[in-house]
Parts: sequence; structure tokens; C-alpha cells
Amino acid sequence: MRRFLGAAAVCGVLFAAACGGSDDGAKGRAGELAASQKLRVGAGEDAYVTEGDEANVGQYPLNANIFESLVRMTPDYEIVPALATDWEFRPPNTWRFTLRQGVRFHDGTPFTAEAVKYTFDRIARTGGGTPGLGPRSTKIVDDYTVEITPKFQNRRLVEQLVHPNYSIIAPGSDPGTKPIGTGPFRFVSYSPEEQIVVERNDDYWGEPPILDEITFRFIPEPNARRLALEAGEVDLIVDPPRESIADLEAKGFVIAESVVGAYEAMYAKITAAGGYDSVLRDRNVRLAIAHAVDRDALVEGVFEGLAAPEQTMVPSRLLGEHAEMIEGFPYDPARAEELLEQAGWTEGAGGVREKDGRPLELLLIDGFPSAQAHGAVPEFIQDQLSRVGIGVKIVKTPDSAAYEERLAAGDGDLWLEQGNQNDANPAFLPALLFWSEGLFGDIGYQPHFAPGGVFDELIVEALAHPDSDEVKRLVGEAMHVLIDQEAVVIPLAGIFRINAMTDKVQGFSPHPSGLQVRYDAVSIVR
Amino acid sequence: MLSYIARRIAYLVPTWLGITLLAFVLSALAPGDPARTYFLRAHGRQPSQAELAIVRERFGLDKPVAERYLAWVWGALRGDLGLSYSTGRPVTEELLRRLPATLQLAAAATAVTLAIGVPVGIVAALKRNSLIDQVTRGAAMLGASIPSFWLAYLLIILFSVKLGLLPALGRGGPEHLILPALTLGLGDAAVITRLTRSSVLAVLQQDYVTVARAKGLPAREVLIRHVLRNALIPTVTQLGVLFGFLIAYSAVVEVIFVWPGMGRLAVRAIFQRDYNVIQGFVVLAGTVFVLINLVVDLLYLWLDPRVTLGQSRRVEMA
Repeated sequence: MRRFLGAAAVCGVLFAAACGGSDDGAKGRAGELAASQKLRVGAGEDAYVTEGDEANVGQYPLNANIFESLVRMTPDYEIVPALATDWEFRPPNTWRFTLRQGVRFHDGTPFTAEAVKYTFDRIARTGGGTPGLGPRSTKIVDDYTVEITPKFQNRRLVEQLVHPNYSIIAPGSDPGTKPIGTGPFRFVSYSPEEQIVVERNDDYWGEPPILDEITFRFIPEPNARRLALEAGEVDLIVDPPRESIADLEAKGFVIAESVVGAYEAMYAKITAAGGYDSVLRDRNVRLAIAHAVDRDALVEGVFEGLAAPEQTMVPSRLLGEHAEMIEGFPYDPARAEELLEQAGWTEGAGGVREKDGRPLELLLIDGFPSAQAHGAVPEFIQDQLSRVGIGVKIVKTPDSAAYEERLAAGDGDLWLEQGNQNDANPAFLPALLFWSEGLFGDIGYQPHFAPGGVFDELIVEALAHPDSDEVKRLVGEAMHVLIDQEAVVIPLAGIFRINAMTDKVQGFSPHPSGLQVRYDAVSIVR
Repeated sequence: MLSYIARRIAYLVPTWLGITLLAFVLSALAPGDPARTYFLRAHGRQPSQAELAIVRERFGLDKPVAERYLAWVWGALRGDLGLSYSTGRPVTEELLRRLPATLQLAAAATAVTLAIGVPVGIVAALKRNSLIDQVTRGAAMLGASIPSFWLAYLLIILFSVKLGLLPALGRGGPEHLILPALTLGLGDAAVITRLTRSSVLAVLQQDYVTVARAKGLPAREVLIRHVLRNALIPTVTQLGVLFGFLIAYSAVVEVIFVWPGMGRLAVRAIFQRDYNVIQGFVVLAGTVFVLINLVVDLLYLWLDPRVTLGQSRRVEMA
């Protein structure tokens, strides 16, 4: 078993309190450093924007470690200082950041409040992002103090700023032409759809990295990435195909798993919006579906054992002890049938239940971000539900554009999605997708899925609460309502990041968000 | 001759208009909103209405479809294919930067096709119904049936992973070209083998071949001067057509081999609903296709003096 951090992934689920930091796992394999410290990473598709105020080369979605944010999120979802050393909230709605001194950008410019203002004003021009940065939000108090007043009341700002989209760029610079940051690695070159190369920043304010250079190659096909690793053309790959993991391990490659940071779930349409009146308006039918799925079999059979039978949306690591408030559903087909009977759906022709002559046929939309991402999950669900007398028709949407169009029309009962937690704000996903008001208004999900009532109250309170532990409790309770009580979200599995690498790569620790992976502790051994 | 070429090039304009209209209509019919897709890609989450409006305005997506199409055509006539909805860069620049890689791959694949298809086809025809003929017929059937994405992985596993002889992906030295060119070229080699075999067989039965043999010409000379000269004309035509198709079909191979060509760009553009890039790709690929057909027709003229200008036996394919 060469799988390190596998234990950490499991303990994230079961014994969060008993486990230490997940950074430790990688340091077990000591070795003598190789002469050449050049790492080649097989990354996914190149999705950088290169023009205008949204240009984000090196930032998002592939974080090339060129840039840093004011604050950083650890693999345990803790917020630690990065370019800001301290911060405080000043009522009614202002955040004051004290900036790190003695930091220089890669071009030699000193890092000061001016850079923060330049960066955040640029974000304001593209709409302001999750923190709600407006054109007048960022004020320079002095060289090392900056005040941010979001456009709307926002107590979650610090938790949002960990996202690489808000990392600080040098004043006057444009990441689309030359990315200049303060991070452990300096930009060398970028060829769209081929690769981005970075080199060690010897003047880094923190511990300088060990690697001399990293080449991130964009390899969109997971199987091609895996073969590139086997052929020795890259040293480390992201997201290898799950079905290749056992084979890669047998060939001596090392598999590194993060803790759970994403989820596979179905959203149940609970309204008649768009003229599509879903039978799932009946809560008992939703609860029946939730009880009819054998999640252990799903994880073993469809995810090759490489997912967690965790029933969550917001990662339990992020919610800490409050994750226990979310109970989830046991596999109990008898209970499912009982609930369906209660709801008036009785045995019908061909094994599909009926009520007033209407068969219990559901449309399962597969799914966000693409049908490909879900593999055989929809077919598995179809089989499981047929066992309790629910017919399922699967509609595959080839990409997110087609999915969003379908969602806008609202034709569908069960909507299969994979979602990621990419910042440290536990209220983000529930507020974005399920809060009636919507963090960004109606983004297409609210008309079909928003349960309203007590869920809304909890989310509003969570968004405005100053104490982050209390926010976690509130979100834990909101998720309990959304999942256990309302069954609007029917969780299927907890998803973790998987990386595969040669045994020469040392010190790599995967991050559940995938956007926050750091390479400064990585080295190559003989 | 020159006026013929000029006329053929002039045909490009209505061809372009037709294909752009088709590309535009098909893209507009595809489900999905380019602005939403762009935002989702740049920010990793769904946009608010206000954020969506900013993106729509930036790319001119707030205007009606017909107006967008006309503006695009007007720009295209002046060489401006608009901005990519996924990167924000000018489409012309995006395409031209990738064109050499795609042309290089298509040329190498055609060389593979030619190098395998023609000699094997000739041998198969000359040794008709022999074991060699049977084997090549089977191989050709197999070659034409194997999907390229599967062949690509097989070749990578054999030559890169097991033998470690060739790079698995990327564009670089000539060694990088071999596997993608083989993947693309082998399927077409099967087609060319069959074609060459049957046309050589047809020519062998012609009276002039019998006459040439009867007057005592050496077999080699009969083959080269009389048989091949005539039999290879359809092969040349077919190669031209195949080359054109390669530009369009290379997408799968480009994605797997991380070959930075136009096909990869087009695949991404389709997923991103990047209409401008899709149209630009169609126009450029269409142009290359039409130009290749023109070259093939001229080549045809040179190979076969019986064909005269204006009554080419070939039909416009694009």
C-alpha cells in the first residue's frame, strides 16, 4: 500500500478531531535530493483567460504558485496569514488588513497597499466577485494598511479572499501578458494549451521552495495524463482516471488523496417552476429516494472505492464538529417503499408505482458540470430506484452550457451535480444555490430548489454572523434542514482530490479544493 | 489558366458565406449561453445578472443574433473574425497561431498514408488473390474500422510506455510527430490501399496495357509508364480530399496528443459556445479545403492531359 494520505482522507470523515494536520503524511519518505529539481506536472485543460480585467494566467483554475492572496486556506480549511498579517472587522461593514512588510513582487516592486487597491479595483470592474468589491471598496490607509468595504453587508469576506481569483498582482501589471506576483515561484513562460513554466523565487519572503522549476503541461484527457505519467513525461498528474489507480499503484506510482472537498449529489426539484410540475414536491417521495440508494455500493462499484460515503455538501472538514448535525440517510429500501405508500404511490404495471393513473417516472438530468464527470452514477441511481418502484429516465447533457439551458427551462426532477468548496466560507454554496434571495440573486437554481422558511433564516444569520464557529454551527443546521428534513439535496458521495506521482516526488500534499495546492515543500529525490 | 484559378478562388466567397451562415445558425441553435459559460470558466461559479450583463456587453452578446451575424460577416470580410468568447483574444490570431501545427500534422499524416497506401495497393493488385492481397485486404478493413482515439492510446502504450521510444504527447522535434501522424494516417492508408488496388486492377485490364505488353515492353516499364501513370490519378484526387478532411478530423488526435492545433481549439470552442472561434475555424478549414481542391484539380490537369480547363470531372466538395 503506497497510498499516503489515504489515512488522512478517511480520518477526515470519521475522526476529524483525532487526526493531526494532513501535511504530515508526505514527509515520511526521506531521500537524498536529486541534482535536477525540475518538476513536470500533468494538469487538466488550459482554462486561463488571457485578455482584459479577467485575465488570470497562473491564478485560476490552475494555481501555478506565482500569486498569493491576503490570506491562505490550509487543507484543513483554516485561514492563515499570507500577504496580510492581521485583520479586523470595523462596523458597520469594513475590514481593515495589516499587510506583510518586506515583501517584493517578482519584478522588484515592493508589496504595499497600492497593489491591493490595484488588484481589487480591477476585480470591481468585472463585477466584484464573491466578496462584493466595488469601485470605491478599497481604501489605502497607509503603505501597510488597507480597508475594504464591500458593496453589501459581508461578514464572510476574509473566508472568500482565500480564493486564487483574489490573489494580489503587481500594480500596473496584467496577468494576461506577464503574471507578476509575490509567490514562491516566478513566471517564466506560457504557451496556451501547451504549458506554463515557473521557476523558484529566491527572494521569497517565506521559506524559499526546493524545486528550481515547475512545468505544468495541459493534458485535457485523463487517460492521456495517466499514460504521460507512465511514459515518464511528467512526474505528477492531477485527477487520474479512478479505474487506473490500482494499476498505477501496482506499477509503483504513489497515489495521494486529499480530504473530502467536493460532493456528488442530486438536487430535487420541489416546485412547478417553468411549467414543469415535479412529483418531488411531495417530500415523502424525496425522502424515499434518499433512502433507496446504497451509497456504499455506489462508492465501491462506480467510484472504484475512491470516494467517501460521506453525505454532505459543505465538506465536513470545514464544518468541524458541527458536521455531525447532518445525519444523512441510511440505505433502507423498506423505509423507502413505506414512504412511497404513505404518499399514495402504489404498485403499478411493469413494477413502476402509480397514483391516480400517473406512473412514478422521474427525469434525472445528468448533469453538472458534464455527463462525463458522473460516469455511471445515473445508471446506478436508475437501477436502485427501480427496485422501489420508481422509474427513471436519464437525460445526459454533454457540457455545462447544455445543463444550464436545461436548468433554465426547468424540465427535470433530479439534477445530478458535482460541486466543490473552493473558499473557506461554509455558507457559500448553500447561499449561492438554495437561499431564496440568492447570494447573487436568482442564478437559475432558486426557482426550482429553494426551500425557503427556516433554511433561509439560518443562511441569512450565517452570512451576517461575526463568529466563524457560530457560522459553522448555523450552516450545519441549515444543511440538516436542506438534507435530512427537506431532502432537497440528496447527497451521494464525498469526493476527494486524487494525484498520482512517481516515487521520486517528495513533499507533495494535496489540497481538497484543488485550487490551493502549494509546491514550495515539494522536491525530487534520487 | 489564370482566369480559371481566379474564378475558382472567387467561388470561395459564396462558399464562405454558406458555411459561416450554417456555422452561425448551428451554434445559435445549440443549447447554452456563451456569456454564462465564459463566466463559469473564468470564475468557477454561476454569475449574477449584473456580472452576466458585463460579459454580454464586453463580447457584444447583448445584441440580437442577426445583428451579431452581420457584424461578424462585415468584420470577417476585413480579416477580423471577432474576439474569442473564451480567452478574449482575437480569433484570427488564435487560429493563425495554431494553423501551422495542424497543417504539419495533416501533411505528416498524408505522407504516412501515401507511403503505406500506394505501394501496398500496387503490390496487392499485381499479386491479386495471393496471400499478400488477402492480408492487405484484411489489414485495410481493420485500419479503416479502428477509431482514432483507440488507436492513439494503443500507439502511446506500445511506443511510449512499453518501449519508451517515442514521446507520448506534445509538439516538439520530428519524433513528436510520429505517433499522431501514424494515428491519423493509418486509417486513410487503408482507404488509399483499396483505391490504388482497384484502379491498378482496372488499368491492367485496359487494351493499351495488353498492347504495351504485346509489343514486348519490359514489365517494369509497362507498370510505370502505362499502368501507374493512369491508375494513380484517382489516388491523387482522393489524397487531396483526405488532406482536407484531416484538417477537420484531427481534433480527436490533437486532444489526445496535446497537439496545439486548430482542432483542439475548435473542440474547446464548442464546449465553451465560443461562436466566433467555431465560425472562424469553419471558415479557415473551409478555405484550406477549397484551396486544396483547387491544387488537386490543377495537379490532375498536369497528370492527365485529357482533362481540360472548365470541364473538370471533379465536383466542388466544400
